[in-house]
Amino acid sequence: MLDRIIRDYNEAVFETDKDAAFEVVNNALANGLSAEDVVFKVVIPAVEVMMSDITRDPDANLAQHFMTAQIAAEVTEKMLTKFVHPPEIIGRVVIGTAAGDLHSLGKRIVMGCLKALMVEVVDLGVNVPAEKFVTEAVHYGADVIAISAMMVHTATGENGARKVRALLKEQGLEHQIRIVVGGAPYRFDNELYKTVGADGWAADGIAAGKMIVDLIRAGKTS
Amino acid sequence: MGIAQVHLTVVTPAGEQTFRVPAGTSVRDALDLTELRVRAACGGSGGCGACGVTLIGGAVTPPTTAEYMKLQPAERACGVRLACQMRLQGDALVRIDDPAPPSQWRSIPPEELIPSPGALPELPQHVYGVAVDLGTTHIRLALWNRKTGQRMATRRGPNPQGGFGADVLNRLSAAHGNPARAAELAKLARTAIVQAVRDILKRDVGEVTPMLKEIGEVIIVGNTAMLALLSGHGGAALLDPDHWAGRIDCQPTDRTAFQAQWFMPHATIHLVDSVAGFIGSDLLADLLATRLTDGPAGALLLDVGTNTEIALWDGTRLHVTAVPGGPAFEGVGLRNGMAAETGAIYRVCRPVSADISFETVAGTPARGFCGSGLVDAVAVLLATGQLKPSGRFAVSPGPDGFLLDPANLCTALFSQDIDTFQRAKAATAAAMVALLERAGLGWTDITRLCVCGAFGHRLDVANAQAVGLLPPLNPACIELFADASLAGAEIGLLQPAGAAVFAALGERVAAINLAQVSDYDDRYIDHLRLRPIDINRKV
Ligand code: B12
Ligand code: FES
Repeated sequence: MLDRIIRDYNEAVFETDKDAAFEVVNNALANGLSAEDVVFKVVIPAVEVMMSDITRDPDANLAQHFMTAQIAAEVTEKMLTKFVHPPEIIGRVVIGTAAGDLHSLGKRIVMGCLKALMVEVVDLGVNVPAEKFVTEAVHYGADVIAISAMMVHTATGENGARKVRALLKEQGLEHQIRIVVGGAPYRFDNELYKTVGADGWAADGIAAGKMIVDLIRAGKTS
Repeated sequence: MGIAQVHLTVVTPAGEQTFRVPAGTSVRDALDLTELRVRAACGGSGGCGACGVTLIGGAVTPPTTAEYMKLQPAERACGVRLACQMRLQGDALVRIDDPAPPSQWRSIPPEELIPSPGALPELPQHVYGVAVDLGTTHIRLALWNRKTGQRMATRRGPNPQGGFGADVLNRLSAAHGNPARAAELAKLARTAIVQAVRDILKRDVGEVTPMLKEIGEVIIVGNTAMLALLSGHGGAALLDPDHWAGRIDCQPTDRTAFQAQWFMPHATIHLVDSVAGFIGSDLLADLLATRLTDGPAGALLLDVGTNTEIALWDGTRLHVTAVPGGPAFEGVGLRNGMAAETGAIYRVCRPVSADISFETVAGTPARGFCGSGLVDAVAVLLATGQLKPSGRFAVSPGPDGFLLDPANLCTALFSQDIDTFQRAKAATAAAMVALLERAGLGWTDITRLCVCGAFGHRLDVANAQAVGLLPPLNPACIELFADASLAGAEIGLLQPAGAAVFAALGERVAAINLAQVSDYDDRYIDHLRLRPIDINRKV
């Protein structure tokens, strides 16, 4: 039965059919699958399958990324309330869009992927000043500050990632907190993330999830 | 398409080209729409004699009196004709030994123009006027004799700021904090406009400098970013979301220098104020041209372009917004994208037998897709099942992309092009829904939908409906306008009330910033799917 559920779920996600995906999950629950199994045996593997599929498949489009992330996040969130024991959390991330930028979607997708990968995410919203990224990261004890910027001037400007880097340096937090960035301008120029002082970037939410998990793990072992 | 189409083949020192044109068109008018123009120094009256071409053969009208007056008998014996006098009755072959030097400017096809109103301003002098639609991708303008109400000529050409980025923000960012660069961008647009005017004066009037002095007004409409870059003022405010609720001042601070640069000492240069944030005065011009607010509630206007603007008339207020439709609809940002120029695939037909067929502008070999061709291609591939509603190809097309014509690499579509298309159409459709919601209306309340901008007349409405770009309303409610912003600027130029008409419209406007509409992003994702918009769903 599980194989069939996994296959149907993966297909629904691949076809960006959210209703179908939820139907698969609801049927699975009705047939006695536990919430834990839905998350760990269906949803997370699906994200992982999508990860490898999408990295191999340059054709994957925005709707697929979004749906994978969104469906995964929604299902996970719903299932978490049904968990018997709270799950183990890998790490914590504060995320927001750069100052002057109101494009919230990229952030949402990244959040969805992180949640489905058991990373705790604090959403700071849009148009977030550099100072706030840092104070909130300190407040929540975050491992990573994630900054989304969809426009050239918010990605490269003085008030975005550059300023966050300067503040971390000033406060001696550079070795504790990593900065990751993403959004259209970074996709056009794959070296841009270095220029603005970030530790990593990713072209899409699924890659972002992997990159951030890797960074957190590397930070915890070093 | 009532008028029969004929083929005009032109041989020049550079080679041979064939164009498809409506029968009855003069050779000059036909070529004025292309990059291959004849020489000319009058409005095509037969007065200058500059437009000589050699007729090799074909079905054309006999020589006119003007041709007898302007051409030597020896020339006539060799087949020399005046291109502005000779009309095509069937296919024809002509030779042009000395075409006009290459230029970016072309005439706007007359069928795209909207007639302008009857009442004219009282003018003792400086009777000429120029109406300009300053677009991100294209500049369109028309020269008028405001006294007689005669449109002398029109031009369309690329906005040369494109080198600084296809979209508005790249250009604003380039100018931001860099006065030299800002000046350069302003100069590019200013020079382009005056060059187009000069091109008209040279080719359609025959006199340049004296005529520039006769121009009494230049009225310019455009999106806020274009106005700011032209004037060199307002760009910084536009980059800051805190300023978007209200109107951003984009008036030039160097008016005298501006007039001097243009050699138009008597011209009032009038930049029509934009509405709010990125919502420009080109939208006001569209509203004037389509008379949207003269009709009943439930009228929607969509100006598709790099900066797509939308207005919804609810009977008392105009709800308006701007959305980054993305340059895709103007053919920019696709691997094989291009403007609707010679060789652009503008229509793709559903296969009757096995192959997909398509038509290009002027019927020349395909060089790429313009916006309407892209909409058609997506709709046709969706109908044949080669593209799935998710936007993925049923079978991955491989490194050369999906070729409409296997023998022509310029006809390839790539997965990324489809993704770009989906984003642009989703942003647009979701924005229309957001406006409906704000006005408390539903799709079924819409009785009129005016589609202006990039697609022109060429958009296939059924295909746009099938992919979810336009709502599946009764096609009789949907009207296509090719050059509405220009027409609106023309109204402003000619009305006795002048540019005050814009201000009056502006008063009725309620602007919406989609970034503050909480469920806009959910709608956007919903609309990514290639499927008809559900008009019965409550918005
Ligand atoms: C939807 C949209 C909007 C919506 C935003 C709605 C919302 N709530 O988010 C609205 C209508 C509000 C909007 C407004 C504007 N927009 Co806009 N918008 C778009 C559009 C169509 C899609 C952007 C989007 O959401 N993409 C979805 C994201 C998720 O896609 P993505 O980039 O592939 O994201 C992935 C990666 O980048 C990565 N990622 C993203 N963030 C992060 C963060 C981290 C840490 C990591 C690791 C990875 C990562 O993962 C994501 C998921 O896979 C784009 C055009 C386009 N084709 O992309 C323009 C675009 C971004 N907008 C643009 C412009 C100009 C504007 C406006 C100025 C225009 C206007 N007329 O008002 C305003 C500015 C608003 C502001 N100050 O922020 C331009 C920017 C141009 C430039 N060169 O900078 C674009 C590129 C369009 C264009 N070509 O002109 N916009
Ligand atoms: S005579 Fe033909 S253009 Fe002047």
